[in-house]
Amino acid sequence: MRALQGLRGPRAPALPLFLLCFLAAVRRSLEDGLSTAAPFTSLPVQEEITTKYSNLSSESHNISVTAAPYTSLPVQEEMMTKYSNLSLESHNISMTEQSNMPVEKNITLERPSNVELTCQFTTSGDLNSVNVTWKKGDKLLEDNYLVNATGSILYTQYRVAVIGSKQMGSYSCFFGEKKQHRGTFNLKVPEINGKNKPLITYVGDSVVLMCKCQDCLPLNWTWYGVNGSVQVPIGVPVNDKYVISGKHANETRLKITQLSEDDQGTYWCHAIFELGESEGHVELVVLSYLVPLKAFCAIVAEVVLLVTAILLFEMYTQKKKKPSGDGKEFEQGEQMKLDDSNGIENSGPRHRKNESVGQ
Amino acid sequence: MPPPGGTPPLHPPPDGGWGWVVVGAAFISIGFSYAFPKAVTVFFKEIQLIFNTTYSEIAWISSTMLAVMYAGGPISSVLVNKYGSRPVVMVGGLLCCLGMVSASYSTNVVELYLTMGFICGIGLAFNLQPALTIVGKYFYKKRPVANGLAMAGSPVFLSTLAPFNQFLFNTYGWKGSFMILGGLLLNCCVAGSLMRPVEPKASTESKNKVGVRETDSSMKKRQKQLSVWEKINKYLDFSLFKHRGFLIYLSGNVIMFLGFFAPVIFLAPYAKDKGIDEYSAAFLLSVMAFVDMFARPSVGLIANSKLIRPRIQYFFSFAVMFTGVCHLLCPLAEDYTSLVVYAVFFGLGFGSVSSVLFETLMDLVGAQRFSSAVGLVTVVECCPVLLGPPLAGKLVDETGQYKYMYLACGAIVVIASVWLLIGNAINYRLLAREKKKNIHTKESQETEPLKTSQSPNVNIKSGETETWKGAEVNPSERETNI
Repeated sequence: MRALQGLRGPRAPALPLFLLCFLAAVRRSLEDGLSTAAPFTSLPVQEEITTKYSNLSSESHNISVTAAPYTSLPVQEEMMTKYSNLSLESHNISMTEQSNMPVEKNITLERPSNVELTCQFTTSGDLNSVNVTWKKGDKLLEDNYLVNATGSILYTQYRVAVIGSKQMGSYSCFFGEKKQHRGTFNLKVPEINGKNKPLITYVGDSVVLMCKCQDCLPLNWTWYGVNGSVQVPIGVPVNDKYVISGKHANETRLKITQLSEDDQGTYWCHAIFELGESEGHVELVVLSYLVPLKAFCAIVAEVVLLVTAILLFEMYTQKKKKPSGDGKEFEQGEQMKLDDSNGIENSGPRHRKNESVGQ
Repeated sequence: MPPPGGTPPLHPPPDGGWGWVVVGAAFISIGFSYAFPKAVTVFFKEIQLIFNTTYSEIAWISSTMLAVMYAGGPISSVLVNKYGSRPVVMVGGLLCCLGMVSASYSTNVVELYLTMGFICGIGLAFNLQPALTIVGKYFYKKRPVANGLAMAGSPVFLSTLAPFNQFLFNTYGWKGSFMILGGLLLNCCVAGSLMRPVEPKASTESKNKVGVRETDSSMKKRQKQLSVWEKINKYLDFSLFKHRGFLIYLSGNVIMFLGFFAPVIFLAPYAKDKGIDEYSAAFLLSVMAFVDMFARPSVGLIANSKLIRPRIQYFFSFAVMFTGVCHLLCPLAEDYTSLVVYAVFFGLGFGSVSSVLFETLMDLVGAQRFSSAVGLVTVVECCPVLLGPPLAGKLVDETGQYKYMYLACGAIVVIASVWLLIGNAINYRLLAREKKKNIHTKESQETEPLKTSQSPNVNIKSGETETWKGAEVNPSERETNI
């Protein structure tokens, strides 16, 4: 990127200078991995890259509270025009001198875009004495960032064109030397949701395992089963047992038929994005039919036992009153039966006795 | 076992003893009947994925179960009238078990509708009506308490079944859960076996024969001239539709049920809409169920008191009005604490209404005709119970706000309460007048062979003014005295 600095604003040069520049351009374009070297009527590199990335989307996230004016570095402008078709994502972290905790922000990126990371630091002391550094992971970044001070707030901004998985990761801004305040932006691919609870199925059944991505559209999905500790791809030689399908682009379904106890375990679904891979998992448990059947039989046995006990008890108490005789005096017999069977409590009102017996 | 209308009347209710065991059995049956359709909704989210359908298609299972349970009322009543409570409840338990076990083998949603919705629904219907009926047979003096205790089964079972279902699902998956739930429903058979018929079993068979022989000559003549209408009335007492009290009760309840269940169903979504998180919203329902659990027996006790029992219809109207006012005031609740207060009061109202819901019906028509009455009531109530929540949902969709739905439901319930209040006030007056007339006619015609064992004798404060003259029913039958 730095090499492009020299290409700014070519005037009508003299011939040797022209040749020199031409050679430089060729070298740089080769460095950039481009094969053609166009004449100097337009910046060849830019056109090349613009057409190359012309199909990319634009993403703009603007969370920053204030927009501080920047004196733009030539590098930044080059990059912006180079990847002008990419979207711009702006993310902001605020820190104060008092806060000691490192601040983190998670950024989900699905497709290539330009990312603008801004850290703002509020301090009462001298802003110019605060040392500002940026790091990607542990590696110190030396360019592509700006520092600006407005009032009592120090702003620093780092811009990067994220076009592949190499540019993903953690970017941190550091304020200060001795007492460092740190803000981290974690650039990640979208997360996949599998299932947190195990799916319970039975031998001989079929089951559908599903992985879903909330607001993203992966390029492709793949499924892996676990054999021991190794992930083994499944569904690739298309067979009857495993069928991969998906109603929408943001979900994938794996249908497994003819389950057996060997199919038990964890299944991983991988979602492939331009910027990397993301995975989710679903756990499958295969039980045999005997497991609930035992519980069912236990309950049925308990019910049968109770019902027979209750009915036997009733027959027994009825037998005790049998000699009271049947016939016309049903009511009296009934009351005697009640007397016997309700040994517990017989406070029931008998005020009907008089009239009912008179039948 | 209730004889069909036209045979000698019932034995006096024991009002205790084995009756309390029967209350426990009714507790189980009623608990399963009301709580089971709601508790199975725990499975629906997962089943929807497995069967590859939309959530509303799955939710229809619960509605079908409830609809069949209510619509199966008359069938249940006919069977109870013929065979008594015990066999019907046991058959109900077996049907429920069969339904759930076959549901565990189903492969598509339609099969679930048939097994879970239809078969289980019929089984639950065979549990609900007989349980209510037998409580009325065993109790008279303490009937409100018994009813309140029996109805308390619903919230207790709901609070236990819902988390239990979740546990079952996590351990056995949906297939195993359905199978085990089928086994659990077999416990209704245990409840059924506890429901000893009030008359001795040996007498019933002979009674059917003896009853025919023992009646007086006029009865015999009547039997020979039984028209089709009277034959039907033997099994399901359609003459109830001429009963003034019954009609008032039915119409009031139909209006009330339109707006009764929707607030329960929409409580959690309403709370979430206000910005309350999922678990706290679910907790509101638990609060409501908890208050409901204790409200039912307590209100039963209150309804049993000397002060309230003669005016139990008014008490019912006031309970309904209380619930309606609760709904009307609900939109005033803005934060979580006020919603909890609303849930508490709503639980109270819901519990008190449910507690005396069937007690008032028994009070109006008497235990003899109660089984037919409850069957007819449930089949008619089927419509508002099923239509209420979807209509409320539509109102929410149209207006975009929950508060109009609560206002509408509150208004409907208050209208129902006012209707019940006025209707019952008129009914009480007319009954008092008819009673005075009856006393005069009895005093003047002592020789008339009115063979009513429980005659409306004012001296002996009996109560059950039932006659056994089949279709020729005294429309003024009501129990007012304790």
